[in-house]
Amino acid sequence: MTATTAPPDAPPVTGGEPPRRRAFRRGRLVPYWLLLPGILWLIVFFLVPLVYQASTSVQTGSLENGFQVTWHFQTYWDALQQYYPQFLRSLLYAAVATLLCLVVGYPLAYLIAFRAGRHRNLLLVLVIAPFFTSFLIRTLAWKTILADGGPVVGFLSSAHILDITAALGWTSGHRVLATPLAVVTGLTYNFLPFMILPLYTSLERIDHRLHEAAGDLYATPWTTFRKVTFPMSLPGVVSGTLLTFIPSSGDYVNAQLLGSADTKMIGSVIQSQFLTVLDYPTAAALSFILMAVVLFVVTFYIRRAGTEELL
Amino acid sequence: MTETASTGQGGGDVRLTGISKKYGSFQAVQPLDLTVQQGSFFALLGASGCGKTTTLRMIAGLEEPTTGTVLLGDRDVTGLPPYKRPVNTVFQSYALFPHLDIYENVAFGLRRRGIKSVKKQVGEMLDLVQLGDYARRKPQQLSGGQQQRVAVARALINRPQVLLLDEPLGALDLKLRRQMQLELKRIQTEVGVTFIHVTHDQEEAMTMADSIAVMSAGRVEQLGTPGDLYENPGTTFVANFLGTSNLIETEVVGRDGDAITVSGSGGCKLTLPAARCSAPTGNGRKVLVGVRPEKMAISHADDAGTIPEGRNRVPGRIAGTSFIGVSTQYVVDSAVCPRLEVYAQNIERDGRLAPGADVVLHWNPQHTFGLGADQDIAAGEEAAS
Repeated sequence: MTATTAPPDAPPVTGGEPPRRRAFRRGRLVPYWLLLPGILWLIVFFLVPLVYQASTSVQTGSLENGFQVTWHFQTYWDALQQYYPQFLRSLLYAAVATLLCLVVGYPLAYLIAFRAGRHRNLLLVLVIAPFFTSFLIRTLAWKTILADGGPVVGFLSSAHILDITAALGWTSGHRVLATPLAVVTGLTYNFLPFMILPLYTSLERIDHRLHEAAGDLYATPWTTFRKVTFPMSLPGVVSGTLLTFIPSSGDYVNAQLLGSADTKMIGSVIQSQFLTVLDYPTAAALSFILMAVVLFVVTFYIRRAGTEELL
Repeated sequence: MTETASTGQGGGDVRLTGISKKYGSFQAVQPLDLTVQQGSFFALLGASGCGKTTTLRMIAGLEEPTTGTVLLGDRDVTGLPPYKRPVNTVFQSYALFPHLDIYENVAFGLRRRGIKSVKKQVGEMLDLVQLGDYARRKPQQLSGGQQQRVAVARALINRPQVLLLDEPLGALDLKLRRQMQLELKRIQTEVGVTFIHVTHDQEEAMTMADSIAVMSAGRVEQLGTPGDLYENPGTTFVANFLGTSNLIETEVVGRDGDAITVSGSGGCKLTLPAARCSAPTGNGRKVLVGVRPEKMAISHADDAGTIPEGRNRVPGRIAGTSFIGVSTQYVVDSAVCPRLEVYAQNIERDGRLAPGADVVLHWNPQHTFGLGADQDIAAGEEAAS
């Protein structure tokens, strides 16, 4: 952290150069001085752990005898074979939660951006208000909300919605807790603000006169939305879905607190491999596989959305 | 108030009857009646906040009138949403769709009406506005003038009954604005669509429009052809807003047939044609006498004898001059009226006409107009500047 304390205009150590040249050289170095804290941060907290984990993933050994780098790539294959159901489940839950976030978040962001008037700031504060409480506590609260025999389950049950979700395999019996529905609900809830905020930003930037222009050019309100508003909000949709999908595919808290052994996501596996089973190589390999899968999905998605320049 | 731009009963006239708009307690547009003849170039002229844009938006359907009706031909469109009106708008900021290229921007209206083969029409329209080579560019890659032409093409391609232009040239620099004024006029003549043009620029309105409605504080002050408005302003607002007027406070002292004689302070006698006086002209009535600066001639006091008989004369002293190339503008202080403005063409410049010189201003009485003295003599001056 020396960089942050070193003043960029510190007197040069060499006194022999003519003053103009010195000033010139100092000016050219300023951008690098400004970059230094960020670069140091990335090296210490991103690159070093990454390399460390990469080496861990190809080690063999045991906790008692110590781990040695043996370039044992077999770990990756074994991990994938053993835990591919959890991988697929993670991607599925994350995708469903992302879709739900979009469905719930878009109308809300639209409302805040175009219809809220003077309540706009209040609504935005309400969107981020959950962040004032810990992630863990909020997720635990859902345990109470979705509790067996609670009002929510009671309502869903008497409205026969649980029969439908049970038929689809999302719930079992008259329970919501410990089912895929509970985990996806938790994920949707927890990552909703990450969807709403980018959506709001991109919607809010749309000039209202474009809506008027579309209406003036024979577009009905619905066509205006389809042809003008939605295409122009695509950057927000892309960043919102990424901000929701990436963290939820690696999440383990929701699966742990709201789910059961049958709804285990890959995040929970990695967590237990690291902290319970203490099989560091497998945990590290799983982490890298998850990273690769997410990177692959995201790259494919951005390509398809065709919004590289909009990001 | 009934104002009619034309007496023609064409089938496609725009007729506003008793239309008004109120925002809360603010009356943006007073109830007004207005007829715009089919195929004409009509300008709504006024300072910002005078209600001209609101009037335009009520025709477009973007604003719902508090009272009154909007008729296109014989069809009442007052209750129709914008997308059901055969009217298109060129917005002040152009409002081009940034995510679509020029081609798709221009084709937008056609596609919304379910027209499949748009290629020929879009090509023709882009040629009309001379942007054929830019079809695949995005709006932000075009200059202001080009964007403006796209906005015109995007609206015109729909063959609207009326094209509404909301200060479309406001964002352009002076030279480009002049060029686009001629361009718009050319396009209007070529396609024969009714244009209703909102502007605060009196020069722009006079250059382009067949008839102008001058608006102030939510009402139409006066309506007429540019020449008519300029020569015969009906109110001090119009006199000051359209060009510059010298307004002199006087009192009627006599009448000889068609000529009214008035007397200003200092006993200076002026005459004006009765036909050009919109105020009552009984003896002793107060009248504001107006004359345009370019209608006045300026002579040095020593040459006063050479001024022909029968012209209105006002003696004074030059307070300031400014040379602007084609003409010299003099500001003359006189006992009748301070700060009289005179524009003299630079044909033969008299070296004696310098600040401090005693001069006589004189003009043909036919060029004098009279206004009622019950109005603010400076109305419209600030709005014009």
